[in-house]
Amino acid sequence: MSDQMKTIVFAFVLCLVCSTLLTAASTRLQPLQAKNIQTDRKKNILMAISLIDSNRKYKNNEIDRLYNENIYKYFIDQTGTIIDLTTPSDTTREDLLPVYLAMDNTKKIRSYIIPVESRGLWGKIYGYLALKDDGATIIGFAVYKHSETPGLGGEIENRWFQKNFVGKKIVDQNNDFMSISIAKGRAADQVSGEKLPNYVDGISGATLTGQYLTRGLSEILSEYEPASIRFRQNILQCRMQSEVPWCENEN
Amino acid sequence: MKIKNNALNVLFRPIWRDNPINIQMLGICSALAVTVQLKTALVMALSMTFVISCSGFMISLIRKQIPKNIRIIVELSIISTFVILTDEFLRAYFYDISKQLSVFVGLIITNCIVMGRAESFALSNPPHLAFIDGVGNGIGYGSVLLSVAFIRELLGAGKCFGMQVVPDYLYSMGYEDAGFMLLAPAAFIIIGLLVWLQKVLTKGSP
Repeated sequence: MSDQMKTIVFAFVLCLVCSTLLTAASTRLQPLQAKNIQTDRKKNILMAISLIDSNRKYKNNEIDRLYNENIYKYFIDQTGTIIDLTTPSDTTREDLLPVYLAMDNTKKIRSYIIPVESRGLWGKIYGYLALKDDGATIIGFAVYKHSETPGLGGEIENRWFQKNFVGKKIVDQNNDFMSISIAKGRAADQVSGEKLPNYVDGISGATLTGQYLTRGLSEILSEYEPASIRFRQNILQCRMQSEVPWCENEN
Repeated sequence: MKIKNNALNVLFRPIWRDNPINIQMLGICSALAVTVQLKTALVMALSMTFVISCSGFMISLIRKQIPKNIRIIVELSIISTFVILTDEFLRAYFYDISKQLSVFVGLIITNCIVMGRAESFALSNPPHLAFIDGVGNGIGYGSVLLSVAFIRELLGAGKCFGMQVVPDYLYSMGYEDAGFMLLAPAAFIIIGLLVWLQKVLTKGSP
């Protein structure tokens, strides 16, 4: 066999062995990884509504239990009506937005959680924004996936940054919609008192990440505004396929 | 007897006398990135040891068959296979840590230590020695990582493996964690100091 032939055969066999190994490992570990990703998202939802402490370590089944007891996934349509998707025909509707509702044990809604998918500097930022049932106050923000620069924009995944969102408003003084913005540096240095509830402290060295996230949050919050208005006016209308007590109109 | 001595020499040489970070100045980049906490540093060190030793073993096993003209590519394929395996494993069983390590496990592929050992040792030595050499280099790399992480976590966050070690009364007396320690430049300075320390201890003799 010529040298050239030998090289080609060797390369081919090596590729075959390596790819077989990798395929085997990937197939075997896939279900576990998928489970981890799912649990991580649930954990972030729970973190957004401060149901779990970010410093403590939780077992997977603990998170599953907390999630199942407190969080319910629904959809809202463009009028802000909450819809329970149990009939398959509805699942194909594209105008529906997913929303997670946190309820207490009397099945009353305490808060609603909006999935965030925003543009970032290097890639998409994924997270959750939790709002109180008054439709105006933010109770938490969590990021579970991003590709920002570690140490700069990457700080969005840390609690100190996310804590800045707690208590901020998505309405102005007249109770009209006004999205939340990330300031350049400290919010107090940049805006005056009455606007302060709409601004959170930014990360120094990560101005662009802040700008993209501001824009992303504004777009997402506007999409969910019909639902937020209903929360603000306390006229929740639900179209539920399965009957759940909280669904009654409060008006 | 001679063989055993040789093996011991191969194992211990890279831990102190020929340390990949302190003496050879390789793998500095990852040493800056993953040493904020001891936990991530430990996992990184273990992953690295696994990759160097296993890839060294495999490369050495087929060293007589590897065609010289595609040598580097063959080495890289073997190394990256092990790196991806490690990454997949961490993602499946240690998700939180793998999230913190983010790209750095994947970047073991580009770590000069792995490639360096494959080229300079595994290609010209029998498999068992190549494996031992990998373990030695892994420990050498890991020990520096852990020392740096210990200093950074202790001074930067007052913790050791995530446990509070700086007592509360010190904080109430006005002690503050040095936030600078959590930034990459601090790791650079600490590594520099470690290099200095080792040079002083060995009096600069190689």
